[in-house]
Amino acid sequence: MMNFRLVQPKRLVDINRIAGLGRIEKTERGIRLGALTRHAEAARSELLAENVPIVAEAMAHVAHVAIRNRGTVAGSLCHADPSAEWPLLVTLLDGEIEILGGDGRRTATPAEFFLAPLVTDMEETELVTGIHLPPHETPCGMAFDEVAQRAGDFAVVAAGALVRVEDGRFAEVRLGLGGVSDTSVRAAALEDALTGRPATAEAIEASLALTVEDLEPNDDVHASAAYRLSLVPVLSRRVLGRALERATA
Amino acid sequence: MSDRTHITLTVNGEPFEAYVEPRLLAADFLRDEMGLTGTHVGCEHGVCGACTITLDGVSARSCLMLAVQLDGGDVRTVEGLGTTREMHRIQQAFREHHALQCGFCTPGFLMTVGEILDTLPLRDDGEIRDALSGNICRCTGYDHIVKAVRALVNERDGVSDP
Amino acid sequence: MTDTTAYIRPKYVGEPVRRLEDPRLLTGRGRFTADIRLPRMVHLAFIRSDQAYARINDIDTEGVRAMPEVIGIFTAADFTHIPEIEAPSKMMSYQATACPVLAKDAVRYVGEPVVAIVASSRYAAEDAAALIEIDYDPLDVAVSARDALAEGAPKLHEALASNVILERTFATGDAPAEIANAPHKVSGRFNLTRKTSMSTEPRAYLADYDVGKDELTLYGATNIPGIVRDEVGRLLNLNGNQIRVIAPDVGGSFGGKGSLYPEEVIVADLARRLERPVKYVADRLEELTASSQAFGEEIDATLAFDAEGHFLALDAEIIGDIGAYSIYPWTAALEPVQVASFLPGPYKTPSYRGRVRGVCTPKPPTGPYRGVGRPMAVFAMERLVDLAAAELGMSPVEIRRRNLVGARDFPHRIGSGIIWERSGFQECLTAAEDAIDLTALEAERQRSGKWIGVGFASYAELTGIGSRIAVAPGMPMNTGTETASVRIDATGAITASFGLSSHGQSLETTLAQIVGEELGVRPEDVRIVHGDTAAGPHGTGTYASRSAVLGGGAAIKTARTLLTRVKQVAATLFDVDPERVETGDGRIFVRDTNHSIDFRELARVVYADMATLPMEKRETLEARETFDPIVGTTTSSTHVAVVEIDPETLAIKLRRIVVAEDCGKLINPLVVDGQVHGGVAQGVGAALLEELKFDENGQPVTATLADYLVPTPAEMPDMDVLHIETELPDNPGGFRGMGEGGTIGATAAIANAVADAVSHLGIGINSLPITPNKLHALVVATREPNGQE
Ligand SMILES: Cc1cc2nc3c(=O)[nH]c(=O)nc-3n(C[C@H](O)[C@H](O)[C@H](O)COP(=O)(O)OP(=O)(O)OC[C@H]3O[C@@H](n4cnc5c(N)ncnc54)[C@H](O)[C@@H]3O)c2cc1C
Ligand code: FES
Ligand code: FES
Repeated sequence: MMNFRLVQPKRLVDINRIAGLGRIEKTERGIRLGALTRHAEAARSELLAENVPIVAEAMAHVAHVAIRNRGTVAGSLCHADPSAEWPLLVTLLDGEIEILGGDGRRTATPAEFFLAPLVTDMEETELVTGIHLPPHETPCGMAFDEVAQRAGDFAVVAAGALVRVEDGRFAEVRLGLGGVSDTSVRAAALEDALTGRPATAEAIEASLALTVEDLEPNDDVHASAAYRLSLVPVLSRRVLGRALERATA
Repeated sequence: MSDRTHITLTVNGEPFEAYVEPRLLAADFLRDEMGLTGTHVGCEHGVCGACTITLDGVSARSCLMLAVQLDGGDVRTVEGLGTTREMHRIQQAFREHHALQCGFCTPGFLMTVGEILDTLPLRDDGEIRDALSGNICRCTGYDHIVKAVRALVNERDGVSDP
Repeated sequence: MTDTTAYIRPKYVGEPVRRLEDPRLLTGRGRFTADIRLPRMVHLAFIRSDQAYARINDIDTEGVRAMPEVIGIFTAADFTHIPEIEAPSKMMSYQATACPVLAKDAVRYVGEPVVAIVASSRYAAEDAAALIEIDYDPLDVAVSARDALAEGAPKLHEALASNVILERTFATGDAPAEIANAPHKVSGRFNLTRKTSMSTEPRAYLADYDVGKDELTLYGATNIPGIVRDEVGRLLNLNGNQIRVIAPDVGGSFGGKGSLYPEEVIVADLARRLERPVKYVADRLEELTASSQAFGEEIDATLAFDAEGHFLALDAEIIGDIGAYSIYPWTAALEPVQVASFLPGPYKTPSYRGRVRGVCTPKPPTGPYRGVGRPMAVFAMERLVDLAAAELGMSPVEIRRRNLVGARDFPHRIGSGIIWERSGFQECLTAAEDAIDLTALEAERQRSGKWIGVGFASYAELTGIGSRIAVAPGMPMNTGTETASVRIDATGAITASFGLSSHGQSLETTLAQIVGEELGVRPEDVRIVHGDTAAGPHGTGTYASRSAVLGGGAAIKTARTLLTRVKQVAATLFDVDPERVETGDGRIFVRDTNHSIDFRELARVVYADMATLPMEKRETLEARETFDPIVGTTTSSTHVAVVEIDPETLAIKLRRIVVAEDCGKLINPLVVDGQVHGGVAQGVGAALLEELKFDENGQPVTATLADYLVPTPAEMPDMDVLHIETELPDNPGGFRGMGEGGTIGATAAIANAVADAVSHLGIGINSLPITPNKLHALVVATREPNGQE
């Protein structure tokens, strides 16, 4: 942004050296990722691999080696690109964003935090210090997939799923979508419809029409709204299917 | 313009100190102030990879960093890899496989290859291509670059070339 | 005594000699223009138009006058002594455009330079730029070529009669009549959208003025230093001996650095005016909006053929979207006229009519880009050929075999007047076909239901063209000769100088191989000087696949002349007949004798030992010869692409590319393969990814490399390059040019492969790039014939 002179800050704060901002740790409330956690660190983290393996799967789609080495979780969230992976992950995982401001600490849900493309609810004086990923019931399966124009490009459409099965039925279904709205979204209608149904590929197939309900993606230089919409059921089927396999493996 | 900031850093093993404008890009600092013009600038927006350096052992885009962020760091640029008389093995492999033409993208590729050889399995050419996908070359079509990296991976893994 | 048999000359030409330019480029010791720093150097930045077409009312520089870092602010009013840049042409119906070095009264594309700011640093110059305000009055504008062509469309240049600045028709026979009576015909409207060369090194210039000597040195990222020297000199009223243009290491061009740019003229002028070195380095945004762009044509074409698939006639209407100005020196005719002249391709088609019109639009000027015209021509023709095959139920290979010029048909004149000389048209097709297992692919397609497609494209091109043919139609400049100068200095070292200008083509190696081969010395002992107008003979540069044929030809002729002199001197020293003297591996010797010296000893005697070699026996150890191939050599090729499309996401994966190519004798196979690979990558970009897009107001919307998508390693398939060597062409080295073919063939082959993969849907691929997004729109259109949701 600065290189294009789109943003010309008077003062730039380098938070790279603040100790403790880069840690990934287990807390009583789940897993906390410090703001400065790099994409590459998240991809490598054993703690994340054990608990939320979808993170590493998603990070493989974020840009390229050198960018993953420097790019941070908070930078990605604050940039609030509706096609980016981290906003989708926190949306899918019901994460919370931890914010420090002049008035102290607060947390925001993804729905509160992401307002529009490249717009968040942050005040100028605030800083993201980390994210919380609450625990989810296990065993469950997760999967991530996306369509991008080239390797490493921002996604045209991205999808992530979390599925838990009990007694042959979907006990929990979550589906997050990126690139199809102003912010990452959850496919609530599909989630509701599938929960309680027999955990089968057929059930998933039958529910896919619900994914595109209420979505109003934009046309832009990279893809038409119609193309984006056409990808939603496809990617949804793929991630839900894979998540189901993993949940029952 | 604005006040300058004092930074100390190591570049290719040598310690340096400098006073830099806070807004000075790391790439410009290395090129213009240090005279290390092997680090090239092809886009200034993080896409082409020509400016890739390593900072504290991991690759970074020097066009997306400020010089002040190098403070206290250990920076390596292509100049630190090998010399014309004594090339690094990666440089030799690039020469043997004719993996460069105009050479503008080459420093960025070399720095990236140095890292991925250390960190990734690179089991097949697809993985090599993926790992290199953050570097753009407009001359070679990448075929010879992939072959050079394949040869280096085989050396690393003790596999004889097929 | 030395064993002279050891000196039997090794062959360097044809060997994968390691490149001599590599060590510096691999270790960061290369020297690109942006790397050069001179004492007291100042930096130039431009404010560029943010309007497509507008009148400039006012430029307010008030805010910056006080900035201490700012050295000068310049507008068109400060350059009234410099004539406008105009590209002349002998072509009838051509209207040259007047391009001021800074926009004068009006701006005609987003990106056109309006204000030049000189400051102590680029950062300061950009600070100043942000404070300068330009007041524009937007003017009515026709953004697309079709709109600009329409009756009553707003004119981009008031001084011109219309937006159509060139028009030309090629005709052989009566194609429209033939088509009307033909049993079969296929037609289509084909589009190759605008692209840009996108070399990784942005353009950069640095001018250094020596006040004492009144001499100007211009360092620049250019591949035509000779042309730049002559024209900058003319515009600034300097003699050729007062201006020297040096192209140091140049980070690719592909055509983008092969025209004269206003920035070069301004940098040179300001260095004289300020008496300080002035440097300008473009950023990527400027590259994507103010370096020459390419293609942007639309063709309506019809191909008629008989029931056996023999082509009868071809008719085409071509509209070229040439941008705001006709670029120097090539003119805007370069690209679209080339489309018309190459459209008939490598086929025997008795009748042809092709009309081309070049239309001014408020976009950056178009100029050369690898392949020039031919990627479009071949894309359109090869699509027609596949459509014809489909209509007859014939295989794409068979229909090509029936129509390609055969070994016995050469020389063959095609409908546009181009004459093909012997080249392996048919042989390349056969080799390409053999390299692909079509049966296995068809079986896989049946078995898996995958959308797999195979596409062929055959083409021929003229390379290394001589003085009888202009590189650009109507351009009043000779591009058909090249001169080499080779000398042995007093130390016996060999230096060969050329007016060429390598920017990735490995000329320092390949020309050294040639000179070494001819003289009998190792390539690494030959130093090649190029890209410096003061150091080399007259020459126009490196472009249009001319360096191997012309430069190589000149190198051979010159080295042979010099070798005669070397042998003459040695014959005197050895007291033998010159015929008996041989050279090899740096030695000069007579077989089966103990006469053997090296080049150093020869040079010592010639330059320093008057006692041994009296004046009348001395020879000048220097030669200079010019080579002119008169016409050109024909390079031919067939490309095959295999693609696989995900039926759900429509993601297009390139599985493989095969290139079978007849490029004559290979100087260095590694280098040749590298050129083909690089060309193919640009073809992949043209076919699947790259597109410069403009909105309805003429604003560019692809201004970063995250929007203008070039292939990364992950998008490139495995490539196989097969070299077919038929009869060698009639030039000193038997070389054919081959720098551009990859782009020409791959683009069309991929289009045909995608069309094949979706043939079951009845979708035609008529516009490139074809992306999943566009494919989606086409698929939807077939499902909804009425276009209704
Ligand atoms: C070529 C390229 C390709 C990319 N592809 C992808 C991709 O496919 N997917 C993807 O998700 N991303 C992609 N990115 C973005 C990348 O992943 C980085 O995450 C992103 O650039 C943010 O970088 P950063 O973390 O250094 O944050 P910065 O650039 O430093 O910051 C970004 C913004 O967030 C603000 N910010 C940063 N940290 C905080 C904080 N703790 N509190 C408050 N505000 C903060 C900054 O002020 C700034 O406004 C790509 C980037 C490039 C250059
Ligand atoms: S210059 Fe840094 S990535 Fe292109
Ligand atoms: S060698 Fe020229 S860009 Fe890679």
